[in-house]
Amino acid sequence: MDNQEVAQKIREVAKKLLSEGKVSCVIGFEKGTVPMRERPFFAYTPEEADRLTWTSFCCNNLANFLVRRDLGEAGKVAVVAQGCVSRSIVGLIKENQITREQVFVIGVPSPGMLDRNKVQAMVGAAKVITEVTEDGADLIVKGKDFEERVPRKKVMRDNCYTCVQRNPVIVDELIGKESEPTHGGNIDKVAAPWEKLGAAERWAEFAENYQSCIRCYACRDACPLCYCHVCFVDEAQPQWCGKTQDETDVLTYHVLRAFHCAGRCTDCGACESACPMGIKVRKLTSKIEKDIREMYGYQPGMDLEAQPPMSVYKPDDPQEFIK
Amino acid sequence: MADKILAKDKLADFVGGLKKDLDVFAPKLADDKLVWAPLEDGGEVLWDFSNTEMSPKDFFFPQTECMMHFKNDPKDEKGMIMEAEPGLSKERALLNIRPCDAKAFGVLDMIFCQDEMTNDVYWRDKREKTLLIGLACNDPCPTCFCTSVGCGPHNEAGLDVLLVDLGDKLLARAVSDKGKGAIASLPDAAKADANKAAELKKAAEASITGGVATGNIDGREVLELFNLPMWDRVHESCLNCGTCTFCCPTCHCFDIQDETQGDFGRRVRNWDYCMSWLFTIHGTGHNPRTGKKERVRQRFMHKFKYIPVKRGGEIGCVGCGRCVQLCPVNIDVREVVNAMNQ
Amino acid sequence: MKKLLEYVGIEPDRLHFSWISSAEAEKFQKTATSVAEAVRALGPAQHMIKDIRKVA
Repeated sequence: MDNQEVAQKIREVAKKLLSEGKVSCVIGFEKGTVPMRERPFFAYTPEEADRLTWTSFCCNNLANFLVRRDLGEAGKVAVVAQGCVSRSIVGLIKENQITREQVFVIGVPSPGMLDRNKVQAMVGAAKVITEVTEDGADLIVKGKDFEERVPRKKVMRDNCYTCVQRNPVIVDELIGKESEPTHGGNIDKVAAPWEKLGAAERWAEFAENYQSCIRCYACRDACPLCYCHVCFVDEAQPQWCGKTQDETDVLTYHVLRAFHCAGRCTDCGACESACPMGIKVRKLTSKIEKDIREMYGYQPGMDLEAQPPMSVYKPDDPQEFIK
Repeated sequence: MADKILAKDKLADFVGGLKKDLDVFAPKLADDKLVWAPLEDGGEVLWDFSNTEMSPKDFFFPQTECMMHFKNDPKDEKGMIMEAEPGLSKERALLNIRPCDAKAFGVLDMIFCQDEMTNDVYWRDKREKTLLIGLACNDPCPTCFCTSVGCGPHNEAGLDVLLVDLGDKLLARAVSDKGKGAIASLPDAAKADANKAAELKKAAEASITGGVATGNIDGREVLELFNLPMWDRVHESCLNCGTCTFCCPTCHCFDIQDETQGDFGRRVRNWDYCMSWLFTIHGTGHNPRTGKKERVRQRFMHKFKYIPVKRGGEIGCVGCGRCVQLCPVNIDVREVVNAMNQ
Repeated sequence: MKKLLEYVGIEPDRLHFSWISSAEAEKFQKTATSVAEAVRALGPAQHMIKDIRKVA
């Protein structure tokens, strides 16, 4: 099924769910106002469901909107979810932020989402893109005085290349057929890139990676797992983390946020996609995903029944680091 | 003063002249991003760009700024005294700043320096020591909407000099006395040059189609706008991050904190953002803006209603379009304002 | 946490973990001493230091 057919089916399913009152809201995507942007949309009526769409630029993680959501009269909402989003939903269910019964998952095998910054870089940073359409394995990128074909494979989001779960893990209605589970990339080849370096270089890379951070917290606010009422960064008594642009303050925020997501982060990449400065947040967060996988053999969000290693004690947990 | 001409191949001399007394900054491409950076020589100047990702408000209102420092030591002769940070030691020039950004600083002048009581010395010092040489937009982006918020691609307000790109040369127009001094030594422009600049201005203004209508907002009462049902839908996808606030050239909210280490301390001002619940939390724990809806509504109301009401009609937005491009969930200010205007 | 700090270039020996109950006074004393020695051996920390006297 191509994206347009998927979009059509999503609209049908959404309309049915809403007209039957099975869900109070369908959380999906609608067309954005600038090229290469589809944006989260909340359809409450069958008429509004007509605005739902599906393209390779549906990059936000919709599970983010499930926490503390008013579920309306139906006590249930529907979410359009591909593999990574469904893993986040599983994560939220396991952490009791929502129950399985409260979510209706409209599952879609992921086409591999595309990174609009990469598309821009392909045609040149100074060029203004006015329209992008999908054409099979290519994108047709148009602007004032230019038109180019860009192969999709060259501009996928970084973590889509190494995706291991394109199909949704939990699903109430699947659109189309399940696809190949991966896009062929090997996560261990790219995860935790600084491991190969010496200690001094690691710090230098870490500091340089976050050089342009403006502390907007888009990474935190886009993450489905960052739902604390009071984030550690917002604490004032005591103030754990400074709010200045001093290197130490900025890096403290990032390393602690990564730490808080350990054992829960599914590497969905929402943080990296949300960053307005294009910072490669996953260079840091991929390390924790890798460590949890290697130390505990656990991949968050894959299984509703599995027990997260950071919440559960097992006698054979690795403990060589404890005196 | 008549318009002047600055030939592009004479740019190095012009910049060299500025650099005798000033630090010069210009937009530069770094890692595929357009950023403001020190200018080393005339050859690096970009003429064909949209706008920098982050606005240059950092030059006047740094994201982190130490306001004063103090030492809690009665025995030290300098102890127990709060010492203000000194002003800028060297003046500077911003070359090729866009008219929208320059206008934004004019709006912020009204807010930072209102009267005797409200007179931000940190802001003023930097503003007075900066020369703004603007580059008119001949090719506005699809997300620009400056013409509908009191600005324009060739707007002069807030600039000292306006440059218009005529191809191999630039028309240079002095807007302020400071600007006159900067371009006094350049040759006069011919009438044909001035005419071409005027044509480019008309064409640029005509090309901006996606605007906002604000006519009705003026006539509506604050409470009427405040209670519009549209706010229930606008806030839904907002992440409440600080992206729009931080990239905006007119947003100006800040938080002041004291940091201490031993007996030394400093008072520091950081950018803050009204999208955060922390922004309005009271010491009692009460928060007048309890939810996302209240905070999202506040931002648009502030920029498009409260500021015009308090500043004689000036809108708290210059139509640069950065928030439209950078918002992680593509909340479009143009859509929101047009809805407010219904 | 140790692995994450090591990953960003902070020496792992700056962070130590130990299970000690309130009844194990001797173990507490020995551990505290060995941790202090291990960290002292690393010298002053180079990273994650914010000295407000030095910053702008």
